[in-house]
Amino acid sequence: MLNNFIVAIIECILNTALELDPTLSDRLSSIAQKRLLIDIRDWQQQFLVVFTGQQLHLYNTTEQQFDCMISADIQTLMALKNPAMLTQLIRQDKLDLQGDLNIAQGFSNAFAALNIDWPEHLSDYLGDAAAQQLWQLVKQTQQQSQKVNKKLSTTLTTLCQDELKVTIHPLELEQFKQHTRQLKAHVAQLELRINQLLQAK
Amino acid sequence: MNENPEKTTHFGYKTVAKTEKASMVADVFHSVATKYDVMNDLMSFGIHRLWKRQTIASSGVRKGHHVLDLAGGTGDLTAKFSQLVGDTGQVVLGDINSSMLKVGREKLHNLGLVGNIDYVQMNAEALPFPDNSFDLITIAFGLRNVTDQNKALRSMYRILKPGGRLLVLEFSKPEHQVLSKAYDFYSFNLLPKMGELVANDGESYKYLAESIRMHPDQETLKAMMNEAGFEQTTYQNLTGGIVALHRGFKY
Ligand SMILES: C[S@@+](CC[C@H](N)C(=O)[O-])C[C@H]1O[C@@H](n2cnc3c(N)ncnc32)[C@H](O)[C@@H]1O
Repeated sequence: MLNNFIVAIIECILNTALELDPTLSDRLSSIAQKRLLIDIRDWQQQFLVVFTGQQLHLYNTTEQQFDCMISADIQTLMALKNPAMLTQLIRQDKLDLQGDLNIAQGFSNAFAALNIDWPEHLSDYLGDAAAQQLWQLVKQTQQQSQKVNKKLSTTLTTLCQDELKVTIHPLELEQFKQHTRQLKAHVAQLELRINQLLQAK
Repeated sequence: MNENPEKTTHFGYKTVAKTEKASMVADVFHSVATKYDVMNDLMSFGIHRLWKRQTIASSGVRKGHHVLDLAGGTGDLTAKFSQLVGDTGQVVLGDINSSMLKVGREKLHNLGLVGNIDYVQMNAEALPFPDNSFDLITIAFGLRNVTDQNKALRSMYRILKPGGRLLVLEFSKPEHQVLSKAYDFYSFNLLPKMGELVANDGESYKYLAESIRMHPDQETLKAMMNEAGFEQTTYQNLTGGIVALHRGFKY
């Protein structure tokens, strides 16, 4: 039931996008009434998306009927931006696609091109000047956070690289093990000889 | 009053003549029709919307399908189905009560849903359609109001196409004692009060609470569906069994 509730909220957000960007409806029209089933493997959940011409419908379902099905882990799905990656992912069994792929692509393209004129919509509530100011602020914050993000990710990358130098490579480990084994053998031989010497006395 | 069990049935907790139940149920829904949607949201805290979403998610409905939303009332399910079946499909909103149909028709018109919806007054016990007509039949919170439920289920079976399915969304039996007690208190004490305050009609909402208790539980309804000919019959408890969604297929 909780799932159901969250899905209902997401559906509501999608439909708000549909209202705020009038061109979205046009971009979706070519795939109207087509059922896209999204199977998120690690959640063990399936979601059905349909654009009916008026509204977007989103359901959490166990039905196995679709016009196009896409199945992957959530991380793989989120990273699915570059079509060149598709074949590779499918070969690695990380992604499964069935049915008419134009449908998945249609949804993806339509939302990628989402362009909502926020100041325009906000001004209905706030008045033009305030909306413009608020929007500037949002944008600044966005840029700022992008900067921070970038810094963070470079720091992370360097960290990882440094870390890489510190951690041992499997080959190194193998080598180390071999050395230890040799050493053990030597010690054993030595022990034998000492024992022999002791007995010979 | 006639106490002959052949001729009597339940109207909430009262025993009434079978011939009378339909008109008594009709009175209830005539009197609540205009307030029905508001009351639904209030009484279930809006959760009825989620129960209905689950029904649609389990329907397998798609472009071109023929759907009967039986006892459809003010048409919540019809509104969604109408969009999902598109202009090549068809949805019939069927109800025994003209006031409910009228409210439904107005609501759907205002939502801009026209073209593929028919509004037909009908009794679930004798559905006015040829055999094998529909891909899907839903009856949401309707079956418990029907006098002869077995007859109604057989009638639904008859007009389903082979491969078609029936979905029954109805109040049922809560799975846990505590929930059951709380629910009893809510429906017998608070619900009629709310009915009194908002719809100015406590009696109708008392009937609602009583009719829910008299309705068959999960397993009984499943057996009734099997009896009527449905196959692969299953049910899913929603909100701890306060409501159950039964599903059966005709092959
Ligand atoms: C509680 S309402 C449900 C309306 C709608 N399905 C919903 O879920 O909101 C029950 C409906 O069943 C209708 N009804 C009662 N007995 C019926 C019968 N024998 N045949 C058809 N409809 C009936 C009533 O008129 C009423 O509109």
